[in-house]
Amino acid sequence: MVNALDPQNMNRFSEASVSVEIETEDMTLNIGPQHPSTHGVLRLVAKVDGEKVHDVKPVLGYMHRGYEKLAEVRSYPQITTLVNRIDWVAGFSNEIPFIAGAERLMEIEVPERAKHIRLILTEMARISSHFVFNGAYALEVGALTPIFYAMEDRERVLDLIESVTGGRFHPNFNRIGGVKPAAGAGPTSKKNIQDLPAGFYRDTKVAMEKVIQAADQFQNLIGGNEVFKKRTKNVGVLTAETAEAYGVSGPILRASGVKSDLRTQTDYLPYDQFDYDIPVGENGDCYDRWDVRVKEMVESAKIVLQAIDSMPSGPLQAKVPKVIKVPQGRTYVRAENPKGEMGYYIVSDGGLGPYRLKVRTASFSNVSILPIMLEGALLPDLIAIMGSLDFVLGDVDR
Amino acid sequence: MEEFFNNIKESFKEATLEFETINIKIDSTEWIDVHKKLRDEFNLKFFSWLSAIDWDNEVSVGEAPKESVSPSFEIITCLSDLDNTNLVTVSTSISKSEPNINSLIDVYAGANWHEREAYEMFGINFENHPNLEKLYLPDGYEGNPMLKSFELISREVKPWPGDVDVEGMPEESESDGSVDG
Repeated sequence: MVNALDPQNMNRFSEASVSVEIETEDMTLNIGPQHPSTHGVLRLVAKVDGEKVHDVKPVLGYMHRGYEKLAEVRSYPQITTLVNRIDWVAGFSNEIPFIAGAERLMEIEVPERAKHIRLILTEMARISSHFVFNGAYALEVGALTPIFYAMEDRERVLDLIESVTGGRFHPNFNRIGGVKPAAGAGPTSKKNIQDLPAGFYRDTKVAMEKVIQAADQFQNLIGGNEVFKKRTKNVGVLTAETAEAYGVSGPILRASGVKSDLRTQTDYLPYDQFDYDIPVGENGDCYDRWDVRVKEMVESAKIVLQAIDSMPSGPLQAKVPKVIKVPQGRTYVRAENPKGEMGYYIVSDGGLGPYRLKVRTASFSNVSILPIMLEGALLPDLIAIMGSLDFVLGDVDR
Repeated sequence: MEEFFNNIKESFKEATLEFETINIKIDSTEWIDVHKKLRDEFNLKFFSWLSAIDWDNEVSVGEAPKESVSPSFEIITCLSDLDNTNLVTVSTSISKSEPNINSLIDVYAGANWHEREAYEMFGINFENHPNLEKLYLPDGYEGNPMLKSFELISREVKPWPGDVDVEGMPEESESDGSVDG
């Protein structure tokens, strides 16, 4: 009898074992829908051969609420409430392209001040979304600490959004033709509407400086971490060609080296008045996707600081009819949301609500790339890759 | 944008430019060829979305079209180039009795899920699609929810409370024809 555990015999056994062909069977592994790393209720059915993943099938629909159908029986002002809930991590930015589409068809010119307030809140929504990503992604690849910092920092930004709109996640703040008076503005009269709450400029400046500090902190705390680098560098590489054919947009596309940002094409928010960089990655791996988002937070904070300094005075609302009827026509308005291109295709027949509303969400197209990216990946990388796409299931399922 | 539109006009005479979006209406038989051409010759490599509209005069939800339409499915794709300067929508009509159209997967791989969504929501059959299954809806689900004839059951059970809101605001004392928010 040979003792297999005797170190002297170990070599013999391990050599013997490689020469033996073992028949392996693929195992079907079900991940989700209640998996904490899926940002909601995404289910993946993966075939695993040992540690290798192949043939991944995402199963959607656990969060499908049928917004496109619901929109057909609602009036335009009522739909704003719905679209808030599509990407709930950045609720405010969902409203903008829809409202802008209706305004475009109605040929309403929005006052500059309202545009500035919209822009500030959109960028704040982007910052808060990227904070969530930063904390959650570090958590997914094994670092527990950053999420506590991220949540604390995000709260400062959410407090500001709340002070203006009255809502942390679902502001429902936009009206066709402008924005409503701010929640904390005190009593309003028709002639002299107060909009932003007292101390908003001061608090925003402090919070934005903190955001820039926090981004720097994340670069050191997460980006400088050897374990994090090993988990993310050269993992889940996405080429620009594949990304564009699948309609992958936003930070993911930019991480693959494409300088594509819809903010440069936006005419309904005054982005052209401000200086900001568009961070672009080189390799298209998980690390770049993380890096691009951290840098974007800094750029967004810079935009907000500039917007605060150059805030024009004037009315908050353009004159609009009492009953909103959108003239016959169709338009597609898209916006650069934290997660990528979000757009609304509005087909109006001149009624109180749209005849058809197509909602194009970023995460839907971004997640459709998963089967390609996960083909042949290692099982531990599955979570790293999935997390780096930064999707929200409300944005996937609508 | 102007220059690009003129180039498009040379190939597609009936293209229109509206709200900075170029709209091209084509016949459903040219569906694949036109998209190949737009991708390769006009550099529209970014596939944004595909969806459909159910045009019908008799509707169970929402409002019927004011002018009578011929019942059909309109299928729309939205394409753009990577620096996002040019935005193009391509649309075609297919009959409701034979809702068949070729799948775009070979041209734009990303059309896969969009087509599956249109398949379950409208019942449109995308030919040569490798995996035309339901995307969102559970397996046993019957019907195509985005059809205008598909009723919202909850509306049947209980009349919509929102109806009250859209009847117009009560008159204010200092009415100047506008609302403040």
